[in-house]
Amino acid sequence: MEQLDNDKLIWMFTQMLRIREFEERVKRTFEEHPGVIRGHTHLADGAEASIVGSLATMAPGDQLMATYRCHGYPIALGTDTKSIMAEIYGRKDGLCGGYGGSMHLIDPGRGFLGTSGIVGQGIPQATGVAFAAQLRGQDQVVLSFFGDGASKQGAFHESLNLASLWKLPVVYIMENNNYNVATRSEQEDANAAAGEPLSTKAAAYSMPGVTVDGTDPVAVYEAVGAASDRARAGGGPTLIESKVYRLSAHGNIIAPPGVPLHYPEHEAITVFGNREEYEAALRGDPVPRFRARLIEQGTLDPARADEITQEVRDEMDAAVKFALDDPFPEPEAAARNDYVYA
Amino acid sequence: MAREIPYIAAVQEAIRVEMERDPTVVFYGQDVAPSDEDPLVQAFGRERVRVSPISETAEIGMAVGLALAGYRPVVELLMAEFMLVAMNQVVNEAPRLRYMSGGQVKVPAVFKAGYGFTAGWAGQHTGSIYGMFMGFPGLKIALPSTPADAKGLMAAAIRDDNPVCYLINYLLVLEHGDVPEGEYVVPFGEAAVRRAGSDVTLVATGWTVGQALAAAETLAGEGIDAEVIDPRTLNPLDTATILSSVEKTGRLVIADQGTRHGGASAVIAAEVAEHGFGSLKAPIAQVTALDVTVPYSEPMEAYVLPNAEKIAVTVRQVLGEAPVAA
Amino acid sequence: MSSALDPAIADDLLRTMWRIRLFEERVAQLKRTLQVHGLIHLSIGGEGVAAAVCRQLRDDDAVYSGHRAHGHAIAKGAPLDRLMAELMGRESGICRGLGGSMHLVDSEHGFMGATGVVGGNLPLALGTALTQHLEGTDEVTVVFFGDGAVQAGHFNESINLATLWMLPVIFVCENNGMAEFTSREEHSTIERVSDVVAPYGFERATVNGSDVPAVYEAFAGFLQAARAGKGPYLLECVTYRRRGHYEGDPEKYRDPVAEQEWAERDPLARMTERALKEGWVDPDVAASIEREAATEIEEAVRFARDSPFPDPQIAATLVYAA
Repeated sequence: MEQLDNDKLIWMFTQMLRIREFEERVKRTFEEHPGVIRGHTHLADGAEASIVGSLATMAPGDQLMATYRCHGYPIALGTDTKSIMAEIYGRKDGLCGGYGGSMHLIDPGRGFLGTSGIVGQGIPQATGVAFAAQLRGQDQVVLSFFGDGASKQGAFHESLNLASLWKLPVVYIMENNNYNVATRSEQEDANAAAGEPLSTKAAAYSMPGVTVDGTDPVAVYEAVGAASDRARAGGGPTLIESKVYRLSAHGNIIAPPGVPLHYPEHEAITVFGNREEYEAALRGDPVPRFRARLIEQGTLDPARADEITQEVRDEMDAAVKFALDDPFPEPEAAARNDYVYA
Repeated sequence: MAREIPYIAAVQEAIRVEMERDPTVVFYGQDVAPSDEDPLVQAFGRERVRVSPISETAEIGMAVGLALAGYRPVVELLMAEFMLVAMNQVVNEAPRLRYMSGGQVKVPAVFKAGYGFTAGWAGQHTGSIYGMFMGFPGLKIALPSTPADAKGLMAAAIRDDNPVCYLINYLLVLEHGDVPEGEYVVPFGEAAVRRAGSDVTLVATGWTVGQALAAAETLAGEGIDAEVIDPRTLNPLDTATILSSVEKTGRLVIADQGTRHGGASAVIAAEVAEHGFGSLKAPIAQVTALDVTVPYSEPMEAYVLPNAEKIAVTVRQVLGEAPVAA
Repeated sequence: MSSALDPAIADDLLRTMWRIRLFEERVAQLKRTLQVHGLIHLSIGGEGVAAAVCRQLRDDDAVYSGHRAHGHAIAKGAPLDRLMAELMGRESGICRGLGGSMHLVDSEHGFMGATGVVGGNLPLALGTALTQHLEGTDEVTVVFFGDGAVQAGHFNESINLATLWMLPVIFVCENNGMAEFTSREEHSTIERVSDVVAPYGFERATVNGSDVPAVYEAFAGFLQAARAGKGPYLLECVTYRRRGHYEGDPEKYRDPVAEQEWAERDPLARMTERALKEGWVDPDVAASIEREAATEIEEAVRFARDSPFPDPQIAATLVYAA
């Protein structure tokens, strides 16, 4: 992997900020424009360092698949935020024409081959993309993103076994935010219950298991970079446990039509009454921390940081405006047979 | 040039021909070519022909990923019921991704399995479960009943840009039939009229096609001229051919190895009831398996399944316009 | 050398092993002459594990098995005549002819079922173990499965929950190095199943499945703890699958050299040899055990042949519980 130069570090900070500002506006839409977002959204606030640190390692031709908590990846890859917001708002110029919604973003041209709405089910698909990469023989690497909840799924077990057996060029990145919806991982995971890192599971699949501080983008970059180098050289997969804390609840509330959707407080508070845990996470918020670190080490000038911040806010305000003004698709578009069948 | 080969060889031949023709076709699954002496391994090597462990979710999910990434996987699942282990990937992922992406991607994958092995394989290995797949738009279904169709429909399945459940009937694997050499494709959505007739339309799938033809022979001796139609694919379903046959005969009997509820027969019956009502001179009748798990013991197994005799009895009832037993 | 067995237990084990061995050989013959129908998987080579484990269980302990279940059912107490009748599709069969080889159930003796889909039995076993845990009894659950099941998703899902909830379940893996027609190294990078569960940190052991006293002893340790409510445990028994995956399997994938190993690894031959050497049974008794087993199997075949086939109409009456 490349060393991180100043430009790259500033790029990483910018992407983290873009993801944060985008997600803030998704969340704000529920308050400011009720009814505009339907269904279920899941935000990446708190995971920016892990997402950007991972994507910073990608070489041209590399690919990734993710979960329904997917906004951050295309943002960092450069997908137009207007079209992402329009998709979330169900508009005709949305990234998928309004067909998919928040959970099913995709940008194949930039290597983002999509998501699954079902926990764990994207892991075997990413494994298949890595199988294709192996066949193609062009040194591509595939990043497979999923959460800690997915590591209990049979799909995780089967995929990691196969990838290891066939030495597929894939890096499995488990974003462990310690919650599976409203359940803490020690309530559902034998390793977590025993106080062990979830990277322990890698031993069952003959691959290295690495735990990294997912709130430090440089640490993530180094861990994922090393794993990618290994995969690219034919050394097979790695399991990376990237420890993050999501700063929003799992998603907006699930309610039938008529009940206004909104984001409740984090489950640490609403389910476990542990406000202190949440506040500690807020104090450790990776985005302002990284900004402060770059300024302190002289990489980033405060004035430039402010400039970037303003540009990003303007970009995301424009995304919201675009999406609000964009018309809905024609209803008949639902029946497009050429979208049902290729 | 056609020559006689067994159904099971015709399937393998299609896979080999398509793998020769298209380097993006990949074949893997449990016990696929474990030996390096296997002709497919000899021809295409271990990169494109792989054996995988018992991991249906990964096997089918990987096929989705391979397809998204520009390859054309054929996954050997052995028995249709094993697809149930990975039901999410089969029905909730593969056929839905294109649509949800607004047409940006396609998932050309073939899920190959056997079904209907009602020869003592008992309750969990014997079902004809494709009826449930008809309810998932985006997922195509092929049921070859002859060796030629086994080859042609597999070729079509591989060339199709959509996910396909390609299901061979295990009772037919050793049936011999004329199969063209080289590239041979049977298009999806085109039913085959296996026997022309004018008194009743008999629609039958898979193994029941042979049963329907046997029934037609018997009935011919009684002066009843049955037209036997094999839809070949359930999705896309060639309702036009069925409807125009019913227009001619005025009567429809459907034979299928699956259960009555949630089965292919019910879908066909409903289409004709709605769009061909004016042609019907008698109620539509269905000859399906009973709505039970297939039992192991031979006489019970035979009892629950459709067969030539039950088809013939039903045809006579329909022609006599006598009430058909519920 | 594994520890001694009580002679009475050794006698019982030999008896069970002979009954399984001869039953299975007879079934193979009957299959060839089409008197047994359908898909049959034989337990030849697995008799030792079945006997050593099940001898220590009670009727109120639950046992689950997979498609290769005859040996487990016999060892758990299923009557041979009703098993044979089941395989021959008769009404007097243990499942009234409805289930067949892969779907045997003998709930009276706690044999909760064989299933046909690899790994499908693992979650079922968890359910029974959970009720045992909730009721606080000293009953345990044992689930038999092969090394092929370990790569299936059901496996890690079950292991995680069994560990998290500390259920009184003993996973008994018969690792014969083959899953259907391919060998373990084509299924996994990890040779020993016990190493696959290493991340879960619960107690496990690997024993030679042909060394019946060793299996007995290892299982006894886990059983004692499980009866005290502890768990889970994994006992991996390295075995050898004597015949093909299913009856009629041409076995093109077998290495001829491996066949020679059979003589050394036949659990029945080894147990007999050890029992005689240690004086747990004397030669006359050993011979009579075999004869009595043969007689019992012939009676089972006669019983099955004399039994009628089921009235087909019952097929439709058993779909739903009343």
